[in-house]
Amino acid sequence: MTTTTTPIMRRRGSRGGRGEPMVWVSLLALGSCVAMIVALIALIVGQGFSTFWPRPIEELTLTSGEILLGVPVRTESAGETDNPDGPPARRTLFRVGNKEITGQPFRWIPESEIVSSTLPTDAVLVERTAWGVWLGRLEQILEVSGDERTVVAEGDVAWAQLPAALKAARHRAREIESLREGDVGEINAKLESARLKFRVAQLRHEDGDLSDEQLKRAEQTLAERSTELQAEYDGIRARIDELDREDSRSRVVFREPGSGAISPLSSNQLDEPMRLTQVVRVVRTNNLSLAGRLGVYCSRWWEFLSTGPREANTEGGVLPVILGTVALTMLLSVIVVPLGAVAAVYLREYAHQGFMTSAVRIAVNNLAGVPSIVYGVFGLGFFCYSVGGWIDTGPRAPMSTGSWWTLAAGAGVALAGTITLMMSARTAPGVVPSGRQRTYGMLAKVGWLSVALLVMALLATTPYFKGFYRAMAPTPKFGAKGLLWSALTLALLTLPVVIVATEEAIAAVPRSMREASAGCGASKWQTIQRIVLPRAAPGMMTGMILAMARGAGEVAPLMLVGAVKQTSDSVISAEPPFVHLDRPFMHLGFHIYDLGFQSPDSEAARPTVWTTTLLLIVIVLMLNTTAILLRGRLRRRFRTGAF
Amino acid sequence: MIRFPSSLRNRFPALKEPVVVDAQSKSWQNGSPNDEPPFPARTPSYDVLEAIRAGQPVKATIHEALDGEDHCVVSRDFRLFYGDSQALFDISMRVPRGRVTALIGPSGCGKSTFLRSVNRLNDLIEGVRVEGELTMNGRPVYDPDVDVIDLRKRTGMVFQKSNPFPMSIFENVVYPLRIDGERRRKVLAEACERALQGAAIWDEVKDRLNESALGMSGGQQQRLCIARAIAAEPEVLLMDEPCSALDPIATGKIEELIHEISQRYTVLIVTHNMQQAARVSDYTAFMYLGRLVEMGPTGDLFQTPRLPETEQYITGRFG
Ligand SMILES: Nc1ncnc2c1ncn2[C@@H]1O[C@H](COP(=O)(O)OP(=O)(O)O)[C@@H](O)[C@H]1O
Ligand SMILES: [Mg+2]
Repeated sequence: MTTTTTPIMRRRGSRGGRGEPMVWVSLLALGSCVAMIVALIALIVGQGFSTFWPRPIEELTLTSGEILLGVPVRTESAGETDNPDGPPARRTLFRVGNKEITGQPFRWIPESEIVSSTLPTDAVLVERTAWGVWLGRLEQILEVSGDERTVVAEGDVAWAQLPAALKAARHRAREIESLREGDVGEINAKLESARLKFRVAQLRHEDGDLSDEQLKRAEQTLAERSTELQAEYDGIRARIDELDREDSRSRVVFREPGSGAISPLSSNQLDEPMRLTQVVRVVRTNNLSLAGRLGVYCSRWWEFLSTGPREANTEGGVLPVILGTVALTMLLSVIVVPLGAVAAVYLREYAHQGFMTSAVRIAVNNLAGVPSIVYGVFGLGFFCYSVGGWIDTGPRAPMSTGSWWTLAAGAGVALAGTITLMMSARTAPGVVPSGRQRTYGMLAKVGWLSVALLVMALLATTPYFKGFYRAMAPTPKFGAKGLLWSALTLALLTLPVVIVATEEAIAAVPRSMREASAGCGASKWQTIQRIVLPRAAPGMMTGMILAMARGAGEVAPLMLVGAVKQTSDSVISAEPPFVHLDRPFMHLGFHIYDLGFQSPDSEAARPTVWTTTLLLIVIVLMLNTTAILLRGRLRRRFRTGAF
Repeated sequence: MIRFPSSLRNRFPALKEPVVVDAQSKSWQNGSPNDEPPFPARTPSYDVLEAIRAGQPVKATIHEALDGEDHCVVSRDFRLFYGDSQALFDISMRVPRGRVTALIGPSGCGKSTFLRSVNRLNDLIEGVRVEGELTMNGRPVYDPDVDVIDLRKRTGMVFQKSNPFPMSIFENVVYPLRIDGERRRKVLAEACERALQGAAIWDEVKDRLNESALGMSGGQQQRLCIARAIAAEPEVLLMDEPCSALDPIATGKIEELIHEISQRYTVLIVTHNMQQAARVSDYTAFMYLGRLVEMGPTGDLFQTPRLPETEQYITGRFG
């Protein structure tokens, strides 16, 4: 037997086979992505970390004869110069502080105008509770009573005594603060609740639930309670005034070298030296060792992380902002993950994979492309005004009792019909339904949907519900910006991410697992619960991570539904219920926007913008890292040792 | 005259020529051909496979030995469709109780499909439709009011690829009891030990019951799956090529195990390995293109098949 085969000629010259060109293309693509990201992160990290580093204080003598202290911020070329052959003109931005005197705490000074510049070791940078920083020299610590001023210490002695004096002052300040915020706040809350009680009584009287007699008694109770609280308040007020008087005696003089002005008590008492309690921190930067600088640096970070903002957010800390962001993110994931997971389970496991499921899937995916501000508008209109308004004062347009009961009867009939349908569609557990039963099942689903809609309509128009917070009207409780509505709005926004991630995770559970479980006699739900969901958990975590990162970084919708520039009451506090769902909150993303674009003094806000951005990134990173570690632990459980 | 598909003909040059089997001189086992009982005197005809390929109805050759048995799973003219394509054609099979029955046949002939019809695992696949009759212990499997969950609880299933759950060994074995809501630690522990001993793996894993099942070797995983399948004391054990992914030693262990198990359960096992079928089974059914061709006691079927087609398959001439 002869065999003839055609020899295969293998071409060696094909371009795709030589030198792996795709390696370079893909490397280039990856490289440029990484470079851009690294540049962005490096900028934020660099700026964020260097902001709090104490910088030298220069004493400048200008050509005009002016002498001033300033902290150089940055230098840039000033463009055109008179002398084309000479060095390019440069100018430096100095932080000169002393806003009460100078009017502008930052100042560009051309290099050509600087005659001399020294680094005096006794120059101090004073961070104050108001009006930004003061640059000058410590002159005296004073004791003032009436018009009489006693010098407690002067010059270097004063510098030596300053830490102890500041400590004492801070102690006083805290005491006053706790009286103001704590005790007075408590009395105010009590008074408010007494007023509300009376208002409720008034409303019930209007409804005819209370007699004139009872109303009168309520009024009397309020009056008594008010007097009682007023007395209590007066006591505290007196104590505060006393402490304040005592506090107002300890003063400190920081003098500016140029004009000889002193850091004043307030902007209209320029001759009065400031109180010690108005000082946050005094730094003799030029005289500091590295360790000393590091100490200042750390203490500034600590202040930033552990206190609230002052000075229109440009100074002080961001603690309430962090709390608000974390509360929002947590609440958001608590809402969106179960919701998305359950929806994905139905979509992937129970729903018939056909036109409807595809349509729903496409719709969900498209939700991800809707601009987030649209979610904000929806959240404001639906959650804040409609749902929140309903909770506060009941339906805005209640039906007449007659038509409401007619509708209720309709809902009852629909419910009865649906239950009947469901009963006929029901099979013994494990028994496959017949064709007719399947039709009934479909109809029952439609029935449940309409019953749900009817119930919602009934609730929305009931004439019997007057709201939980009617007495507070017109002040809204839930009917305005708030944490809950923000979390719900963002949940809606991130729902597609969670649904898609969960669906993919569920789809990736191998068929062999489901068959093994079914083969053991597990029902569909048991298989989902015991096999599919645990295995899909890492995928769900991915969805949660994405949702959380989005929730922490989103700004636009939050401006409408919950984030505010400043809050008087934190969303997380020591008083029950600890997390206040109805309160507006501060949010890092919004805070950055507010500082960067809404601040009256953008130069003063600039450092805080960087640190806040850095903080936001770190928080997102921390949330993500936690979630990723958790996911890794889950995944390890599914790794098999046998092949 | 048999005409093999061209793909086969090209692969096996011997098939290029029409093969006429000399039944008298053919032996399927080592040993002297003269000791062999002669094949039943009948003219070799290759019409059966030809007819099946042509889509004509063919009556299965069932050995009389089956009549004397008590039957556990019985199918009568059972047909199954995956959507529009039919996978099983008029299968009439009786699976004797307390015996091991092997299903053999070329790939894609519907062995797995038939196996999965017994515990209605095919219900999980969308578009599956059945006709005809299938009973287990006299009770119809496909009646509308059958409780599928309960049916599956009465059958254990072992799959081709071992599929332990990502849980501890203990939890894997007691899974069928857990889904029945069993919580008593003692009952679970007893069932676990019994099942693991039944699957001949107790000694290997008794000290690491709380470790993940995924850390075991392939053979151990498969025996764990067998333990899981028998943990809830099923009536029928269905095994779909349980050894195909295992090495010879693991295979040997599982074959031994099947042999032991067969005293207590009705076992229906799919295998590609003729020697395995010969070693472990009491009865063998040969299927081809969705039809049952011949079924009888394993010894008879392997030594004196009634149909030359069966003999051809067994001796590895095709398939
Ligand atoms: N899920 C399925 N959908 C459609 N056809 C299938 C499916 N599973 C198996 N089949 C078809 O049914 C036939 C029998 O398959 P199977 O029972 O797996 O064969 P065997 O186990 O004997 O190798 C094959 O032709 C196969 O293509
Ligand atoms: Mg198979």
